[in-house]
Amino acid sequence: MTKLAYYPGCTLKTTAKNFDDSTVASAKALGIELVEPERWNCCGTVHALAKDDVMHHLAPVRNMLRVQEMNSEGQVDSKEMITLCAMCYNTLKRSNQTFNEDSDKKQKIQDIMFKEEATYSGSVEVKHFLETLKEMGWDKVKEAVKTPLTGLKVAPYYGCLLLRPRGIGIDDTDNPRIIEDLFEALGAEVVNFAYKQKCCGSYNTVHMKEVVGDLAHKILKQAKDGGADILATACPLCEYNLGPRQEQVKVQYPSFDSIPVVYFTQLMSLAFGLGDEAMAFEANRPDPRPLLREKGLLEE
Amino acid sequence: MENNSEKITIYVMGKKHMVPEDLTIMKAMEYSGHQFTRGAGCRGGYCGACATLYRKKGSYKLEGALACQKIVEDGMYIAQIPFSPAEKKTYILDEIKPEAATILEYYPEVSRCLACNTCTKACPQDIMVMDYVQASLRGDITQAAKLSFDCISCGLCAVRCPAEIVPYNVSQLARRLYAKYIDGPSEHVLERVKEVEEGVYDQDIKELMTASKETLAERYNTREIDLNE
Amino acid sequence: MSDYISGYPESMQESLRKVAESRANRVGKQFTPMTADERHKVLEEYHPDWKMDQKRELKVGPCKGELMPHEVVDILEAHSVIKPEDIDLSNIDYDVDVLIIGAGGAGLSAAILANDNGVDPDNILIVQKLRLGDANSKMSQGGIQAADHPKDSPTLHYLDIIGGGHYYNKPELVEAMVKDGPDIIKWHEELGVLYDKLEDGTMQLAPGGGTSRRRMHSCKDYTGVEITRVLMDETINRQINYVEFTSAVEFIMDDKGQVAGAVLYDMDTHEYKIARAKSTILATGGFGRLHIQGYETTNHYGSTGDGIVMAYRAGANLMHLDSTQFHPTGSAYPEQIVGQLCTEKLRARGSQPLNIEGELFVYPLETRDVEASALIRECYGREKGITTPSGMKGVWLDTPLIDIIKGEGTIEREFAAMYRNYSKFGIDIRKEPMLVFPTLHYQNGGVEINVKCETNVPGLYVVGEVCGGVHGKNRLMGNSQLDLYVFGRRAGVVVAERAKTAEIGKLNLDHLDRYEKWLKEGDVETDRKSPILLPEYRGKKTLDHQLKLL
Ligand SMILES: Cc1cc2nc3c(=O)[nH]c(=O)nc-3n(C[C@H](O)[C@H](O)[C@H](O)COP(=O)(O)OP(=O)(O)OC[C@H]3O[C@@H](n4cnc5c(N)ncnc54)[C@H](O)[C@@H]3O)c2cc1C
Ligand code: SF4
Ligand code: SF4
Repeated sequence: MTKLAYYPGCTLKTTAKNFDDSTVASAKALGIELVEPERWNCCGTVHALAKDDVMHHLAPVRNMLRVQEMNSEGQVDSKEMITLCAMCYNTLKRSNQTFNEDSDKKQKIQDIMFKEEATYSGSVEVKHFLETLKEMGWDKVKEAVKTPLTGLKVAPYYGCLLLRPRGIGIDDTDNPRIIEDLFEALGAEVVNFAYKQKCCGSYNTVHMKEVVGDLAHKILKQAKDGGADILATACPLCEYNLGPRQEQVKVQYPSFDSIPVVYFTQLMSLAFGLGDEAMAFEANRPDPRPLLREKGLLEE
Repeated sequence: MENNSEKITIYVMGKKHMVPEDLTIMKAMEYSGHQFTRGAGCRGGYCGACATLYRKKGSYKLEGALACQKIVEDGMYIAQIPFSPAEKKTYILDEIKPEAATILEYYPEVSRCLACNTCTKACPQDIMVMDYVQASLRGDITQAAKLSFDCISCGLCAVRCPAEIVPYNVSQLARRLYAKYIDGPSEHVLERVKEVEEGVYDQDIKELMTASKETLAERYNTREIDLNE
Repeated sequence: MSDYISGYPESMQESLRKVAESRANRVGKQFTPMTADERHKVLEEYHPDWKMDQKRELKVGPCKGELMPHEVVDILEAHSVIKPEDIDLSNIDYDVDVLIIGAGGAGLSAAILANDNGVDPDNILIVQKLRLGDANSKMSQGGIQAADHPKDSPTLHYLDIIGGGHYYNKPELVEAMVKDGPDIIKWHEELGVLYDKLEDGTMQLAPGGGTSRRRMHSCKDYTGVEITRVLMDETINRQINYVEFTSAVEFIMDDKGQVAGAVLYDMDTHEYKIARAKSTILATGGFGRLHIQGYETTNHYGSTGDGIVMAYRAGANLMHLDSTQFHPTGSAYPEQIVGQLCTEKLRARGSQPLNIEGELFVYPLETRDVEASALIRECYGREKGITTPSGMKGVWLDTPLIDIIKGEGTIEREFAAMYRNYSKFGIDIRKEPMLVFPTLHYQNGGVEINVKCETNVPGLYVVGEVCGGVHGKNRLMGNSQLDLYVFGRRAGVVVAERAKTAEIGKLNLDHLDRYEKWLKEGDVETDRKSPILLPEYRGKKTLDHQLKLL
């Protein structure tokens, strides 16, 4: 087992527990033990992205510091920090970059973080789990598959934060392949559709339900029109806006027919044959299980 | 007590006083003529009434302590913070759940936490305040309760927090949720309560209540002592 | 101890070395408990209560002739701080069903139960001299007793209490205690008090001085903090009225001879206020800050015995005030925390009292009065105490044994407060012992009550440390925390019932004039005034507590 530091982020511990469970389980099936730091804090998300002052870099930097500590205590095998939530990934990666590239800010951050257990050196490497999979090689993934997702038409949905800005994104901004490659390795049929990088509406979901309803409708309809059975995402906010928010879509577009939205790791768990607890489909809305049963991928 | 200690200079709210060097801030203030109405409680580090901010000579750092636990230093500037303005939200414990949503409903400002750790540095109890705030934010009620257990609500973290969070109110909610819903009641306690209600011990106790002093003494001195775990 | 910097001065190092050297041999060694005769002898010779020159007979009122410590007689033989003619009783500031004076555990429990039993939160008023909950209740470290373990029983608990109290306790009060005990723990758990538990979810129970079973429930060594803050939180949740920094100074009576409220004093604005109430619950706690016989105390800043003064002036009966509890182990060093409590649980978990030679000299879990006397004897009878730079004496309490016996980490986990407290002064109690000496801890006696918390004055209910009769002449560890909630809750129920029928007549302060007459009749000439509300520590008095020992 390779031990890698794993930063789950708040959402994976609350509303997106199914993302957390399916990730830890599928990583294990691939010989990776994801080790959560004993102490961690919110990635800093909204603040760190919206504002550029030093204070707002403390949260992300502190998380990197925890991984650095794990590293120096030998709890993990590399200086990588594995993330899942697209928002966490983006925030942490950008902050780490700022820290390493802007020596003035680095100095200020270190000054404010006086009297802490240790000083962050900038050594940690922020990674998305998908990148880890890619580096490992899709053949390895293929080897672990017990139930190929044959006949399942999956539309990969990236949203904005996984690919932007350039240099931070996990794959080519205009022509991403990474989720596609994963699903091909899992034996599914990949449906390409134009809106896979379109923004899901993000935090507007709180105040502007209709705007988000509109966007979700566009994205989902496009995927369906392209023949997709199901959407796979890597971001809890996207999952929420495209999944549970279909209720709102139906209010605005009564003829709309629902389509399941799941985390890519849930389908990995399915393909690896890891059981109900790992797949954790019961938390998804709409419920993907009828579809998966129909396709013969899930037992009655 | 004869006090031959050296005298040092302190500034209580800016006013200069000479006091023996080995006094706590609390006793030094009394030595300089203050009689506390606010700002003193248990005088033993348990109640948090005597939260104090100070700066040491030659240092720009603003530090916090309990006046009853901190010894004065030469050139110290002292101001007590006997009250920290904050509203404790009211809730019915029986009707809420131990989850992140509960914390955020009553204290939504928790999500403003910057993870700056200022609170932890301010805490005279050496509590990992930031960590318990962060744990409540992600709904880890168990961790929030355990990490915050030694909190004495002195308020120093709250006056220093740039995100204007009142950590001790948040953790009080977390601890009650944890104790009631996650830790839960002890079965043998409930059992015993039932037995008492059913009158199982009435007869024996009545007997003791009416016994003479001699009989009682006899029974007391010969009672079986079993302190094994 | 080579890499460890000792927090103790050079003069104590030799004795410390002896303690460290003999430690390994003492593991598991037990000093034999005293026989009944030995106990009696050490009490008589060394217990502060037995020093008759430190007491005198009270000369005023219905308890005239009873022996009490000088400091208590001083506040009883004193004029009221108010003059009736200065107080305008027609201007009522608060008009409620239930007035509760003092917001420690007893007062808060009464408030919650009064509310549970139908009294509107607006019809309750809690007045509190300091902040809500800044009270002795918050300071309890060791724990609370209740016989809920299968090996234990309320009957055994009864026997332990009455034997420990030297058979002076009122039987019906003890019965209430032991029967309500388990229900109190249940109630706390329902309210969200976090008790220490074992792996299997059962209570972690410790023995205590004079207990025949493990019966002590704890919340680390913050038992009082945890319970009190939960009760405070609940009181605020229910929006029960409370005013802080306001003291009651005298009761108000009515023309039917009932207590009908109290004159309040706003500590911030120095104004008097009038509270009228159908029932009044006195819950002002103890008198440690009177520094009986010059002893340092474990008590909080507000424990100045106000309650007994007010109640006595209103005609209430006092009992057992001749007996005071000295806790065997108060801090004797460092100077800054002298007098502060070193919980009995330290001994229950395995630490041993040792003299200057590092020798055992007493069974660690004798009842408190006996244990305290043995410590005083070691210092002043056998001259085997350790002298501090300020001339105080003490004996060692060998705490490092706890980690040796119970496993490393026990001290930090179970005695977090104590460990933290001493660390601030450079002493690591995992590695070095504590220096201890008896300290004034608990007011054994007080205002006489019955099981309904009634006194001989209608309308006046008394709960908590200020009442007398529950513990006889010696309280066992953990039973006070229990009695607060037992009688606090009972009083809440009783006053809620009374609120339905009670009627208040015309208000007066005639009892204060009557008290002046009693003073005259007793030939008391004094300019003392009471209640004193706050102890006097200003200026040089800060440094001024000297034991009037032996
Ligand atoms: C350090 C310490 C440790 C202890 N440990 C234990 C233990 O482990 N187990 C155990 O069973 N017992 C223990 N005790 C004893 C027990 O905690 C107390 O006896 C008990 O808490 C008293 O509770 P109370 O509510 O009666 O009074 P308190 O808790 O003292 O509350 C009384 C309140 O009334 C206020 N007050 C006083 N006068 C006035 C006035 N005139 N007007 C308005 N308000 C007033 C006071 O300021 C105070 O806040 C300990 C006591 C101390 C001091
Ligand atoms: S957590 Fe805050 S309120 Fe609690 S003791 Fe620490 S500084 Fe004081
Ligand atoms: S001081 Fe406030 S913002 Fe900073 S870590 Fe603590 S709770 Fe968060």
